[in-house]
Formats: sequence, C-alpha cells, structure tokens
Amino acid sequence: MLLECMMNGHAILYTGVTLAFWSTILIVGLCYTIFDLGFRFDVAWFLTETSPFMWANLGIGLAISLSVVGAAWGIYITGSSILGGGVKAPRIKTKNLVSIIFCEAVAIYGIIMAIVISNMAENFSGTTPESIGARNYQAGYSMFGAGLTVGFSNLFCGICVGIVGSGAALADAQNGSLFVKILIVEIFGSAIGLFGVIVAILQVK
Amino acid sequence: LLISSPTQPPPAAGHIIGQQQLTSYLEKALNEGPRNVVLFLQDKMSIEDFTMYGGAFGNKQDTAFPNLEGALMSSSSRLVLPAVSWPASNAVIGQLQDQLETSPLYMDPETLSQLRLNASSPALLVFRLPYGLGADLMSAKEILSGNDEVIGQVLSTMRARAVPYTAIYTALQPSRVSPPHQRRAPERERQRRIKEKAGVYAPVEFKEGEDTCILLWAKGLSVSILRSGRWEEHDLTPSTFGEGVSPQLHGSSCDKSKSKLVLNYENVLGHRSFKLIFAMSQRRYQVSARRWFTLDAVELEYDRTTARFNGSRKVYAPAEYSYRCESVTNFRWPQLVPRSLNDPANQWRVSFQDFQIQGFNVSGSEFSYASDCAGFFSAGIWMGLMTSLLLVLVLTYGLHMIMQLHTMDRFDDPKGPAISVPQTE
Repeated sequence: MLLECMMNGHAILYTGVTLAFWSTILIVGLCYTIFDLGFRFDVAWFLTETSPFMWANLGIGLAISLSVVGAAWGIYITGSSILGGGVKAPRIKTKNLVSIIFCEAVAIYGIIMAIVISNMAENFSGTTPESIGARNYQAGYSMFGAGLTVGFSNLFCGICVGIVGSGAALADAQNGSLFVKILIVEIFGSAIGLFGVIVAILQVK
Repeated sequence: LLISSPTQPPPAAGHIIGQQQLTSYLEKALNEGPRNVVLFLQDKMSIEDFTMYGGAFGNKQDTAFPNLEGALMSSSSRLVLPAVSWPASNAVIGQLQDQLETSPLYMDPETLSQLRLNASSPALLVFRLPYGLGADLMSAKEILSGNDEVIGQVLSTMRARAVPYTAIYTALQPSRVSPPHQRRAPERERQRRIKEKAGVYAPVEFKEGEDTCILLWAKGLSVSILRSGRWEEHDLTPSTFGEGVSPQLHGSSCDKSKSKLVLNYENVLGHRSFKLIFAMSQRRYQVSARRWFTLDAVELEYDRTTARFNGSRKVYAPAEYSYRCESVTNFRWPQLVPRSLNDPANQWRVSFQDFQIQGFNVSGSEFSYASDCAGFFSAGIWMGLMTSLLLVLVLTYGLHMIMQLHTMDRFDDPKGPAISVPQTE
C-alpha cells in the first residue's frame, strides 16, 4: 500500500527539492525577523554590488540558449511527424521542410540578438556604485532584460511552430490540400518570435 | 586549600597557585587574622574530591562535608584556592612555621581538649587526616566523611574555647593527577594567557553629563598626507587608545539627532593642533520605517583648513546598533570619499582598522549589537549562487526531459518468438 501512496521517482525528487528550498527560505527569514536583523536583507545592496557584467552576460546567454531550446524542441516535434508521415506518403517530405525552416528561424533570431547585445557590452571603470554610475547599471539590466525577452519568446514560438508543423505534416499526409491552410497558422505562430526580437532591440537601444 | 581568613580576592578560575603566591596569601591572612592556626593536613586532596563527594550536583543532602561547609559559611571570611601546585602545598607547614615563628603541634581531637590556648600567642595546631589507598571509591567517600567529622569536632572545640583562629584545610599531595599531564599544562597556560591578553582596551567614551553618548573603538587609527610626492604617515592609535590614555574630546557634542566626536591631538605631521572629527546624524527613514544613523563626515582640521570625507554612503547602521567594519579607509575599498574634487581631503589618507562606532542610543558604556559592514555572503558569492542556480535549473530541466524518454513498447510481446535478424540479404 505504501508503494501506491508514493509518487514516482521524479515527483519525489522535485517535492523534496522544493521542500528543502522553501523551508530554508522560511527558516532563514524567520531567524532574521526574530533577531531584528531584517535590515540586513538589502535588495538594493545586491543590485548595486553585483557587477553589471553578470547581468549583461546572463542576458546574452539566455538569449541564445532559450532560443535554441525552442527551435530544437520545435524541430524535434515536427521532424518526427514528417519522418513518420513520410513513410506512408513520401510526397510530403519536401513541402514540409518549410515548417522546419520556421523553427530554425527562431534560433537565428536568438543568435542575432545575442551578437547584437554582446556588441553593446563594453568595459567600464569604477568600483563603487557611485563611480560606476547609473548608466552602466542600466545597460547591464537592459541587456539582461533583452536577453530574457528574446529568449523566452523564441522558446515558446519554437514550441508552437513545432506542434503546428507536426499537425501540418500529418494532415498533409492525409489530404494534400490542407497544407496551405495550416501554413497560415504557422505564420502567425512565427510572428510572436519576431515580436520578441523587436522588443529586445528596443530595450537595448 | 581552604582557609578562613580576611577577605582576599579569589584567584582566577584555572589558575594554579605557585609557591610565592601561596606565601603571599598566607602572609596576608596571618597578618590580618588570628594567629592561632588550625591546620588540617590531609594526605591527598584534589578539587575532584569535592566535586564528587560534596553534593555539587544538587544532592546537597549526600555531601560528605557537612561540617566543612558549615564552617566555611559561618566563618567571617574565607578564601578558597582550588588549585595549588603540590610542591607548594607540601611546604605549607614550613611556611606557616616561618610566619608564625612557632613550631607545629601535631594533635588529634582528644588532645585538643587538653590544650590551653591563648589568643595573643601564635599557635600552629596540625591535624593529620588520612586519605586512604585510593583504590576503592566507596572507601574514599567514607574516609572523607570521617575527616569531615574530625574537622567538625575540632572546630566546635575551638569555638567552645572562644579563641579566634584561622583554619586551613589542605593536603600534601594531589589525590588525582591527570595522566596526560603535559596536555593539561598548555591548557592552563592558554587560559592564563587569555586572562592577560594584550591589546584589549576600552573604547573612547564621550559623556554628556553622566551618560555615555558616543563610543569609538579601533585597533589602528592612522592618517597620512601626501607631501612632495611621498606619503607621510602618523599613527594616532597610541594617543587615542590604551591603558591610561585619555584623548582630549573638547568640542564634542551630542543630541537627539546629531553627534560629533572631536579628538584633539598635538604635533601631528608638523601641525601644532590637529583634530579628527566624526560627525554622525540619525533620522527616521520612511521606506524602511526605522531610524538609521550615518557617519556623515570624517573631518581633519588643522591650521585653519578642514579636509572633509563623506562617509554616509557606506557607513550606516540602524540607530539602535553600532557600526563595525574591519577596514574604513579612503583608498582601499574606500568607505570614505572626499567631499569634492578640490577638497584638501584629496591629499590625505585615513585608515581605521577594526573600527567600531556608535553615536546614539548608547546604554551603559558598552557598544550595542555591532552591525558589521560585511554581510554573510559577499557580492561575488551572490553572483556565483545566482548563476549556479540558473545552471542547475537548466540541468534539472534537461534531466527531466531525458528521463521521460521511453522506448516504444507497443509491439512488445514477451511471449512471442524472439526477433531474428537474418545474416544474409
């Protein structure tokens, strides 16, 4: 009976980790409150003391990596459907490569943005928050934000295009006239990736 | 060694009394107290005997020393030396003999009643008490109880005689010697050295009336000036801190919202009068809903010029607490910044080591809780943690994906024939 009550391995691991995390936060917070040391929880100190370079590079890293995850996921979903459907209906092969290209475009957006953002990262002089200056901090945070923006929008765009592309391939295998209609859906899905890129460029301008 | 004697300060815990110190204690006792000495000399004794058999663990009723404790309580003054080095205690008879200039009389309780005692002439009455072979614990307790009985009898006889006396209870040898004797000595040495640690001195106190208002402490206080391309340094620590050093604090003031500590020096780096001024202020800050104090300025005043450093950006703490930092300088991870670009402060370097200051809400003459300038994690540690957390999340996600890949088992048929892969085409 105990085995039935217990969840599978993943769930145990994740619940364990979450429990550990939240209980640490709770106990640390409780101790800080009890000993009247709440004043030492200083978000401003964290934001001004951490180097803007960290934020900028995190943005660059997230831009490319999240975009690539999205593209890869999309291609994996579409690709498996094309290969599967292509066994029975080989004519779909060439046409459905368009879906793959839409997914790949998402990765291209990601790498372009990563290069654009990294070109904006320059050295600065200054060790104290005052001498570093507000502009450098703003630059760091903007780059982080831009990377996050383009990364996440490309991630979901890629997944979306992938799932739609998979459906398109299978529908095409069944009935050739359906493909063009479904392609329109895919184009809408691809637009959201583009939105992310535009906003990211505005952020780092 | 236990002694009923005029009050002398007891020794520090763990301190082993040596020969000379014992002599001085005894001298003092005998000079000021009665010169009739009743000496109970046990063969062996250690502090552990009292701990084990003296009812020290809340079981006072089981104590083997009721008479001894009663005597100590009722005596007008007492001194307990818990640790006397045993060559010294061995020589106690000789010392007493020398100091009283009389020879010891070895007695037991029966012969005491026959003795005539005089309050004016000194007498040394020695009662030998056994300790036993030390093998059997039970017998040790009985022996000690028996000794205590003897002590009780003797002391009551002495009381009945109404002769003032000094009683000493000691032994010739320790009853317990810890086997790793070498290890104990450095431990005691270390304890002794801790008591006498150098470099701990009181903070600079500024009193407004009766109450202390500002406290300042530092391990090192130095200023340097740039003259003709070279830095000339002057260490202000010896004139500010230390035993018997009282710096001049004229000009200091404090009130509810502003405090100013002025340290006046003479002949610093060629300037006849030199002042080091710490200006602090406290107020309530709305966003954090609490009162904070800041070190607004550190000023060097000399020859009608003032070099000003601003410290309010980094040197702050809640108003109830003190601020402490290992290093407060204007050149190395600076906490103090010159007020402006043309300020004479640009030619000076100030450096405070292990600096602690409190300008408000001082209770007593001690610092309140010290809000340290260094947090638990440094900025670098936070950056590392953040990045590591991100990478661990990525890893978790990847692992989760991979772990949920399953091989296809739709067409598995465990009961069917095994797949045969033909070798030929």
